[in-house]
Amino acid sequence: MQIKKFLLSGILCACVIFIYAQNSLSGLSGQIKTSAGEPIPGATIKVLKTNFGTLTDANGNFKILNVSAGNYHVQISAIGFKTQKREITVTSGGPQVVVNFSLSESSEQMETVNVVGRTKAQEVNRQAFNVTAIDATKLYNTTLDISGALDRVAGVRVRETGGVGSSFNVSLNGFSGSHIRYFIDGIPMDNFGSSFQINNIPINLAERVEVYKGVVPMWLGSDALGGAVNIVTGNKHRNYLDASYSYGSFNTHRSVVNASVTSKSGFTVQLNAFQNYSDNNYKTDLPQRLLSQVQGTTETSLRRFNDTYHNETLIANVGVVDKSFADNLLIGITLGENYKEIQTGARPDAVFGQLHRRGNIIMPSLKYKKTNLIKGLDVTLNANYNFGYEKTIDTARADYDWDGIRDPKATIGEREGGQLAKYMNNNGLATAMASYKIAEHHSVAVNNVFSTFNRKTDNLLIPANNALDPAKKVNKNVLGFGYSYDVENKWSSNFFGKYIHQNNVIGSRGVSAATDKMGYGLALAYYLNRNLQLRTSYEKTNRMPEATEIFGDLENQEANPALKPEESDNLNFGIIYNFQINEINRFSVTANAVYRYSADFIYNRLNNNQTKTVADNREGVRTLGTDAEIRYSYKNWLSAGTTITYQYLQNLQQYEPNYSGVSPVYLDQMPNIPYLFGNTDVSASFRDVGKKGNNLTLGYNLLYVHAFWLYWPSLGGRDEASDKKVIPLQLSHDLNFVYSMKNGRYNISFEARNITNKPTFDNFSLQKPGRGFYLNLRYFINKS
Amino acid sequence: MKSTITKALMALAITAVFSSCKKNNTDPVAENPGNYVLAVTPVASTGVADYLVTASSLDEGAVSIIGNGVEQDGTYRYYVTTGNKFFSMLYGQGNPGAVTVYDIKEGKLNKLNDFTAATVQAFAPVNDDILMVKVPRAYAATGATLANWYIVSATTNKQTAEGTLDAVLPTGNGEIAHFSWLKQVGNKVFAPYFSIIGRTFETEHPDEAGIAVYSYPAMQYEKTIKDTRTSFIGRYFTDGLEVVENGDTYAYSSSVAVKGGVLTSTKPSSITRIKSGTTEFDQTYLMNFETASNGYVITNWLYVGQNKFVANVEPKATKGAYVTGKRLAIVDVVGKTVSLVTGFPEATTISSITTTNYSPKDGRYGYVGVNLTDGTTWVYKIDASNHSAVKGLKVTGGLITAIQHIK
Repeated sequence: MQIKKFLLSGILCACVIFIYAQNSLSGLSGQIKTSAGEPIPGATIKVLKTNFGTLTDANGNFKILNVSAGNYHVQISAIGFKTQKREITVTSGGPQVVVNFSLSESSEQMETVNVVGRTKAQEVNRQAFNVTAIDATKLYNTTLDISGALDRVAGVRVRETGGVGSSFNVSLNGFSGSHIRYFIDGIPMDNFGSSFQINNIPINLAERVEVYKGVVPMWLGSDALGGAVNIVTGNKHRNYLDASYSYGSFNTHRSVVNASVTSKSGFTVQLNAFQNYSDNNYKTDLPQRLLSQVQGTTETSLRRFNDTYHNETLIANVGVVDKSFADNLLIGITLGENYKEIQTGARPDAVFGQLHRRGNIIMPSLKYKKTNLIKGLDVTLNANYNFGYEKTIDTARADYDWDGIRDPKATIGEREGGQLAKYMNNNGLATAMASYKIAEHHSVAVNNVFSTFNRKTDNLLIPANNALDPAKKVNKNVLGFGYSYDVENKWSSNFFGKYIHQNNVIGSRGVSAATDKMGYGLALAYYLNRNLQLRTSYEKTNRMPEATEIFGDLENQEANPALKPEESDNLNFGIIYNFQINEINRFSVTANAVYRYSADFIYNRLNNNQTKTVADNREGVRTLGTDAEIRYSYKNWLSAGTTITYQYLQNLQQYEPNYSGVSPVYLDQMPNIPYLFGNTDVSASFRDVGKKGNNLTLGYNLLYVHAFWLYWPSLGGRDEASDKKVIPLQLSHDLNFVYSMKNGRYNISFEARNITNKPTFDNFSLQKPGRGFYLNLRYFINKS
Repeated sequence: MKSTITKALMALAITAVFSSCKKNNTDPVAENPGNYVLAVTPVASTGVADYLVTASSLDEGAVSIIGNGVEQDGTYRYYVTTGNKFFSMLYGQGNPGAVTVYDIKEGKLNKLNDFTAATVQAFAPVNDDILMVKVPRAYAATGATLANWYIVSATTNKQTAEGTLDAVLPTGNGEIAHFSWLKQVGNKVFAPYFSIIGRTFETEHPDEAGIAVYSYPAMQYEKTIKDTRTSFIGRYFTDGLEVVENGDTYAYSSSVAVKGGVLTSTKPSSITRIKSGTTEFDQTYLMNFETASNGYVITNWLYVGQNKFVANVEPKATKGAYVTGKRLAIVDVVGKTVSLVTGFPEATTISSITTTNYSPKDGRYGYVGVNLTDGTTWVYKIDASNHSAVKGLKVTGGLITAIQHIK
């Protein structure tokens, strides 16, 4: 029984376990079992007429601390069981009260259907927002990183330029790039640099990953416009060790170690460390015009030779948990570095043999959280500062063809002029959040996020330029206010406003100007019955130009100091429906429809020389989209699901600059954006294979992306002779096999990706890795 | 149980609601098979590739890139024709440029080959080849500052030779000779240049014209033809030389040399001459374009034969290094006359004029692409005999970047 079922109210701060503090405190603990003696995980324990409550863990155990002395009624409920109440007495300073319950099964409560599957962090999924939560724990025995897990969510498409560590671009309902913002435990990741990004963070770091499509809740304080991804690392166990190592094709090594030690007094040390390494030396199919320059081969595909990637990251936190003054107070540091070789430019025609990049992150951080600071008031504070740098190294006096042979030349740089520059962005971030429960159904919240950016460039090739380096500073503040009204299992509403203030200092233009923007939104959810939820949300949202869009990144992004803020109307409508044909065949259907209209849409285009991308405004873009997910489970060992996404992005810019006539591509579909894609997965779990406590899981995943045009669909002929550039259909079959022993303490898994070895592309002419095999070993132990 | 299935189907049906959105459809224009090739760039500021379309006539009819045309990867492309072959070259600064070669079969483009070449700033047919030169914009940190040249055979469609040139040698003044274009004159290659001190394209020598002369196919530097009566010949990516029927070479100067963001040449925009068989400027010939045209400078030209050119002209007051004139004039280099073309759209209604145009060199007609600010695009037929212009072929969907004819 690994089904989790959360039915907590308090939708504002998901996943909060309420702990209350007064002078003389004690607590209660115990275990919940079925009448047959099986532990019940995910059962709800509530101390009535207080804010105390919790859920049982996988072994049916629970613990509630810091309860003041007195008589209480405790209510135990779990789906499929009769609710029980019992009176208990907590004595001042006395020992913890131990109460064990055995619940009898109830047919009348079986209406709520549980579908067994891999994306079921249900409490989050039931918010009024258009949100999907990925239960990361189900993916711990895979070698996926966060972006790989996102790629399986309806409405989400992750486009990669190559193998491990390659550039990626997440698209959510057609929005992509900086329209989407990333958070880790609610803290914006905008300024973490290349060493700590969703394409190198292993899924094992997360407990779940929340994907907000379109309307982004106020408590994720940011000017995201297309959606947000929040990685929740959670705090599952007080004492545990989770270590894994995998080895696979293209000399790929990955390791992850997560551990936490917490003393009885609440002193805690938390460590997360991970590493990725890959040669990425997979074969790339090449056109004849490039092969003709390679001597002595009859092969039509050649191995990549300058694509090695590795990164190493350590996150350490020290502090206290479960204290009267803090649920957690942690001082930490994130240390990381990455090295990335660059094999090609925007097309395989530009091939490099020595060009590479380095970056690092040195980021001290402070985290504080306290629920019920005074009754009903929750406070969260975070601060961090990144001392890291990014560096591009292009100093070779040589050219390369796909044969990998160094051809010396007199001039420096594989790209014109060469480059050896290091820059520090000096990013600082401070966030504060307070929420207060006014009355049973009403709560308000205030959130403020302040960030700084101050780039210093050190041109190592031409140091004389450093004195001339113009000021590049951005300060941004996002102040949010929210009000919510919730009636559990009936309806939920959420109104919020966001006030954004951004100050840009652009030395090269002599500009120092502030912009202020106000946005607002509303999210509603209504339960027609326990199994059918309707939800809708609307937001008027603003996105400010990013520092890298204004100042460039000294590599592929060119500066555009004239970029304007983007404004968008986002409207979502969704249905979640769970049903069963009988006790053993269960279904869950989620369907969403979206409408977006963006004025001054910020998009990336190629610069005039086609060597870099540059962010620019487009007058208007409209998106109509829909995505759906259907999941099925048979008993609790077979699970299958399909997601499908269709989105239609339409160009609404009627006039091009300097022309009075209607643009030929007015109302045309936006090019180079995937618009039809989906996933299918099937997995089967077998218990007690070989030995009691040993489980075997077999899984299959299919990725499908429909072909799409690189350039405007309406232009040019479509017959073969017309050579219209297309990103071809992708079909990738993955298989995995997980054998876990001793109830998950030891795990061996084996993955085969892209088993048919068909060439796959997310971007025109940039081929992704072919067939690969990966072996993963994982050890997990916990003591609660 | 039946109702739950119905509900599920309902939910799925809602997902299918947002599916059918159709684009506005302008009346489709059919293909127009023929031996004229037009390169058309869409009027759009993103996701733009060029499209090649054929036409049977430039005098009338219509072509469209909506639903028609051979797509060309990349935004900046240049086109050159030699004999019966059409070369489409990608300009991607610093990156290799892909080159695609076509011929015409039954009025349609037929792809013969594609290959990778360096990105170059000048290219021209020489004998049965295409000669291409990549010119440096900055001095080399160490050693000589070199330009690279490449020869592609138009017979085999493959690169047959490559080498380097000393890019500083031709100017004799220490500045880099940035070739404005290349021209075969007799059995030599003439490379007119503008002298630059770096990426800003500035010069300390605004009142000098120079043409570097090379042997072919060895590409050995032979000499530099110099003249101090005008500023430099041609412009960035613009051909300022033409060889007329009697073998004489004519050259124009726009007088747009720059220093510190200011035009610095004291010489008027002019046309000069190199007599057939010689490698010196003819000091007996000078056509002061500004006086002949009553106040205009020449910014580009198209030779129509019999010593006549269709020239782009710009009032002297608004000239600039990258300003292309939106007025046309017929220039007779022997008669030294300039007559403004009538019947051509007003300069204020013109967005841009095509750089690479076509003439059958019959001494009379030239075909010039015009992109109007109302979004319509036309080929204008220019009659040099009465300096008039009439609308010809209509192009839908974009700007004409080149008009070529393939045998």
